[in-house]
Amino acid sequence: MTTENRFGGAFASREGSGFAGIPQGRQFAGLYAREVLKTFRNPFVLVITVVQPFMWLAFFGSSFSNVPLSYLDVLLHAHIQSYLQFLLPGVLSTSMLSIGMFGSMSTIQDKRFGFMKRILITPTSKATVYLAKALGSATRGLVQVPVMIAAALLFGVQFGGDPLMWAGWLLCLVLLGFGFSCMFLAVTASSTDWQTPGVISNFITMPLMFASGALFPTANFPGWMQTIAAYNPVTYSALFGRGIILSGTANWLYLGYVAVFATVMVTIGTVVASRYLKVE
Amino acid sequence: MTTEAIRTRGLTKVYGKFTAVDHVDMDVPSGSVFGLLGPNGAGKTTIIKLLTGLSDLSDGEASVAGFDVRREPMQVKRNVGWVAAEVILDDDFSAWENLWLQAKLQRLDGWKGRADALLAYFELTDRRKDKVSTYSTGMRKKLEIALALLHQPQVIFMDEPTIGLDPNTRRMLWELIEGVHTEFGISVLLTSHYIEEADRLCDRVSIIDHGKFVASGTPDELKSKVKADIIEVETATSVDEVALRAIPGVSEARTQGKAWILRVVSAEEVLPRILAALRDNGIRRVNVEKPSLETVFLDVTGRRLGETAGESTDFRKFYAQMRRARQ
Repeated sequence: MTTENRFGGAFASREGSGFAGIPQGRQFAGLYAREVLKTFRNPFVLVITVVQPFMWLAFFGSSFSNVPLSYLDVLLHAHIQSYLQFLLPGVLSTSMLSIGMFGSMSTIQDKRFGFMKRILITPTSKATVYLAKALGSATRGLVQVPVMIAAALLFGVQFGGDPLMWAGWLLCLVLLGFGFSCMFLAVTASSTDWQTPGVISNFITMPLMFASGALFPTANFPGWMQTIAAYNPVTYSALFGRGIILSGTANWLYLGYVAVFATVMVTIGTVVASRYLKVE
Repeated sequence: MTTEAIRTRGLTKVYGKFTAVDHVDMDVPSGSVFGLLGPNGAGKTTIIKLLTGLSDLSDGEASVAGFDVRREPMQVKRNVGWVAAEVILDDDFSAWENLWLQAKLQRLDGWKGRADALLAYFELTDRRKDKVSTYSTGMRKKLEIALALLHQPQVIFMDEPTIGLDPNTRRMLWELIEGVHTEFGISVLLTSHYIEEADRLCDRVSIIDHGKFVASGTPDELKSKVKADIIEVETATSVDEVALRAIPGVSEARTQGKAWILRVVSAEEVLPRILAALRDNGIRRVNVEKPSLETVFLDVTGRRLGETAGESTDFRKFYAQMRRARQ
């Protein structure tokens, strides 16, 4: 009696058309929005996210300021205006390496505070939780991109290429960040320890940053490091961006390689997470 | 519609070598309030996890709202609500945003009217836009119940709904739970280690200890099982068991630490005789108990509810930890 009067009319129905009709689509949209909202409501985190790669540009990018350009051209196997111009695509690419840490930490927080139970007690699959966290991480990482490009312009870097290439490069960074987020979250799916993300981040970031073409050309490397760099998607993301900035040419194969990397990672990660994602 | 909200046969959960839930058979009729009563670590929360699909069954079968927990977990999840012992909400979000997320996770359309009605029912309307971290524990608990009701579940699970709350908030919550049950016509399974809570709220109660049901029935049935009163005496010097048993009217005597627990026909008649018999032993404490769920528990397990079985959770510590972690 009272039920119908008091709460009737508002009888909630389920399902819907369009995006909402996709299985798990709504749960994914809700969880993804939660991740993004949380990021943008925490100005401190946002500032650090942006400042850190900026410092890379400012300090590391300035470390060859007094070296004559002709020397740098030899060292870097390229014709450049400044080391910064060479470095920018590399730093943007390497900064995508550890952004999975955000999603991983927020996953561990949800496990610790029991929120994962609240999510998984609804008709939401573990794979959905995983994908929302991974894409949330990648989104957060992308905040760095416009800020750093603006900073590079400020430092006097000139850009080649056209809008299509720039869009391609942005897509490349999204895919790279998403791929590494997927990898990161899969590795930490069963962890509930606050310290794990930091440790994994160092473990992934350091070797993959230096064993890539992000900071220096791979031609200067010893053979074994060249081998690692040849498989490292960071190399291709950096080369793709560098081609556009330095000479206005885009090698779309590099973008393809990064896309394959992201696809493989998201596939493996989804399988791993739906099996090993811990509830608490 | 199903007639049984929850039905389990041989429900079992094993963690390594530890059997948390041991062949539990349970029938909860639709529309009733069922209580799981037991000390910390008895397996109450594990049963909720099994019935909501958070944890996989090791053995046995279970159906909730007419759906098999193993074969149709998603259907089960659409039809259950859950109120956690530790009050789980997203503290960075407002009440309204928490409801919004719940609606997304439950794939609801047209949920806003109902959410408004729920906020009004729980008197949270004027705080709906405030961050949940600024709420009192009572308000948080209310919001959690509102979340659990948003998708109109058939069964709602409440894990220790009043643990860690002050007496006033507890009483308020009891009224709310009674209201939720009658007004929304929902079956409720609640766990508790508060006797009075189960006595007041539940149609039927099962007492659980070490993962097994040791007694089941309505609160009155259980109480009538213990026909005797129970007298607890603690003395300074040791007492001769034979002498105690010899007192007329004492049907059973057993020790617990320094105290004796005596089952007597009628406390009013027998107590003077006991006091007389123990006069020289230096009586430190006497406690008389009329049949209650507490005495039932004492009777079937030989322990009081407050005494925890092995692993226990210190909830004061737990809440303090949560607060620290949030800051």
